[in-house]
Amino acid sequence: MTALVECRGVSVGHDPDRPVLTGVDLQIEAGEIVVLLGPSGCGKSTLLRCLTGLMPPLAGEVLLFGEPLYQASPDARRALLRRTGALFQQDALFGSMSVSDNVELPLRETTTLPTAIIREMAAMKLALVGLGGLGHRWPANLSGGQRKRAALARATILDPAVVFCDEPSAGLDPVVAAGVDDTFLRLRDLFGSAFVVVSHEIASVRTIADRAVMFAGGAICAAGTIAALTASTDPVVRGFFHRVPAAPGVAAATVR
Amino acid sequence: MLNPFGPHRDAHAPAREPAGATLVVRLDGDLVIATARDLHHRLRVAARRRDARLVVLDFAAAGRFDSAGVAAIALGQRQLARAGKRVELRHLGDHHRAALALIPTTRPAPEAVEEPAGLLERVGEAMLHLRGRWSQLVELIAETGRQTVAVVTRRRRLPAGAFVHQAVTLGVDALFIVGLLAFLMGMTMAFQGTVQLSRFGAGVYVVDLIGLSVVRELAPMMTAIILSGRAGAAIAAELGTMRAGAEIDALQAMGVSPVRFLVLPRLAALSVTQPALTLLATFLGMAGGMVVAAISLAMSPSVFVARIVERVELADYAHGVGKSLIFAWIIGLTGSFFGLSSPGNARAVGAATTRTVVVCVFFILLVDATFATVPALFGGGS
Repeated sequence: MTALVECRGVSVGHDPDRPVLTGVDLQIEAGEIVVLLGPSGCGKSTLLRCLTGLMPPLAGEVLLFGEPLYQASPDARRALLRRTGALFQQDALFGSMSVSDNVELPLRETTTLPTAIIREMAAMKLALVGLGGLGHRWPANLSGGQRKRAALARATILDPAVVFCDEPSAGLDPVVAAGVDDTFLRLRDLFGSAFVVVSHEIASVRTIADRAVMFAGGAICAAGTIAALTASTDPVVRGFFHRVPAAPGVAAATVR
Repeated sequence: MLNPFGPHRDAHAPAREPAGATLVVRLDGDLVIATARDLHHRLRVAARRRDARLVVLDFAAAGRFDSAGVAAIALGQRQLARAGKRVELRHLGDHHRAALALIPTTRPAPEAVEEPAGLLERVGEAMLHLRGRWSQLVELIAETGRQTVAVVTRRRRLPAGAFVHQAVTLGVDALFIVGLLAFLMGMTMAFQGTVQLSRFGAGVYVVDLIGLSVVRELAPMMTAIILSGRAGAAIAAELGTMRAGAEIDALQAMGVSPVRFLVLPRLAALSVTQPALTLLATFLGMAGGMVVAAISLAMSPSVFVARIVERVELADYAHGVGKSLIFAWIIGLTGSFFGLSSPGNARAVGAATTRTVVVCVFFILLVDATFATVPALFGGGS
């Protein structure tokens, strides 16, 4: 079976001469929750932008559902991206639309469903993320956590096969963050969605992740199940999972 | 009675139990986005059936659910309940139960709708480097062409209501300012014209002067310059702010073309309203001249109008209006280009706005000069 998402020797970065990540090989299978870990600035978010079709890789190939994403025509690329969802670090809600309109937008734009069903689906997804009854509000009138959850409802409204999330629980209180984790697990169980999550919250990672991929020093430095990574003796991995401050030599190696 | 189940007659024929009051709706296959419209329709038809008291939804043959299927069932259940029918779900699998648990149990009444905060409040921080401007512009024009074809051939739609909204904000709201300035410009022209021409006893030719210059040059150009400052700047600021809020990234990630969703409605609105505003400016400019001619030359309005009709030909109007259409595209594309390629912070939005106005005015004058000189150089018209 082809992987939902596949990276083959991918390099990413803003400057072609200085890629932040090189030689990334990655496969995400259906229904998997994979967490991308690593120190700030290591290129996790850049890689995620690359996977969501926003930034071509400097080298290598990105495949979604077995199709090369960046070689495809603009229409074909959009068709591939419609089968994915993306949750941005900023919530990226449209400030000129109510929360419901935001959540309904992908349905209105890409399906021919009757309006009544579209409304129902949006209300359902909003209730699922704990925002039932707040659909008429404007994004500016929601708290940061509520906006994040509204964006999650929008990202998952089409029951995408894979959802890309950039720090979904950053800036959320622990209870709300646990709610977001729970939403991931429910969506995965109900609709078989896979999730690719960039996260720093080790507690959340332990709850949701089937696998984790750790980046440091411009490449993948470790990958495997959470249990395997927790038991790892690699100083960078240990530092992350056991909150050990980096020794000066290690810092030089990881934070470039 | 109309067969409510259409092509599904055999598979889904409502099996009535002896009581005569039970309608069994057999759900088969996957209940997903592709089939939700059909399911919605069947449940609505079932709700309208007068002869059924109890409606049984039979899930024995139902396959996979997605949110659209769950939503259709939730909606159907409510409609059936409103129609006074009892609903029973039979042969639910565990998977079905889990999916149906998504249906919210309470539907809180919506509160009063609140006003949104201004767009400019949400201006972001990230600064990206601007590069490859030219290829970006070519790409924008190419994508605009592609999306226009897609919309014209009905493969894709413009977002609902966007055209009218843009036509009102970019065009209709400019009626007063364009009209007023055109009228004043006509008056000024007429004053200058009468003073100069009267010295040669040729005061009456002021009508020709105003008529031709307003129709061919001044009305299209005045309108274009006003709209550069008004519409062009507004487009750049709005799209720049949307870039800052990652809204444009979000559209791209959703697989929705930002050009179709944002640029086309604005371009289409300008393409309609700018020629219309130009015509309005033309007539009000002439009216301004007519007032001055009546005062300083004691020329009666009917003489003025008759002479205009005689001297200004339809081709002159076509020249002015045609030019205004090109100006509309310059304004729309320049504003969209600087807005979309803005790096996304407050200062960048301001810079994009300013640059839009300057570049628009430059290209408008350039195109206008080309229109005025090229035909003359090659022995054509004017």
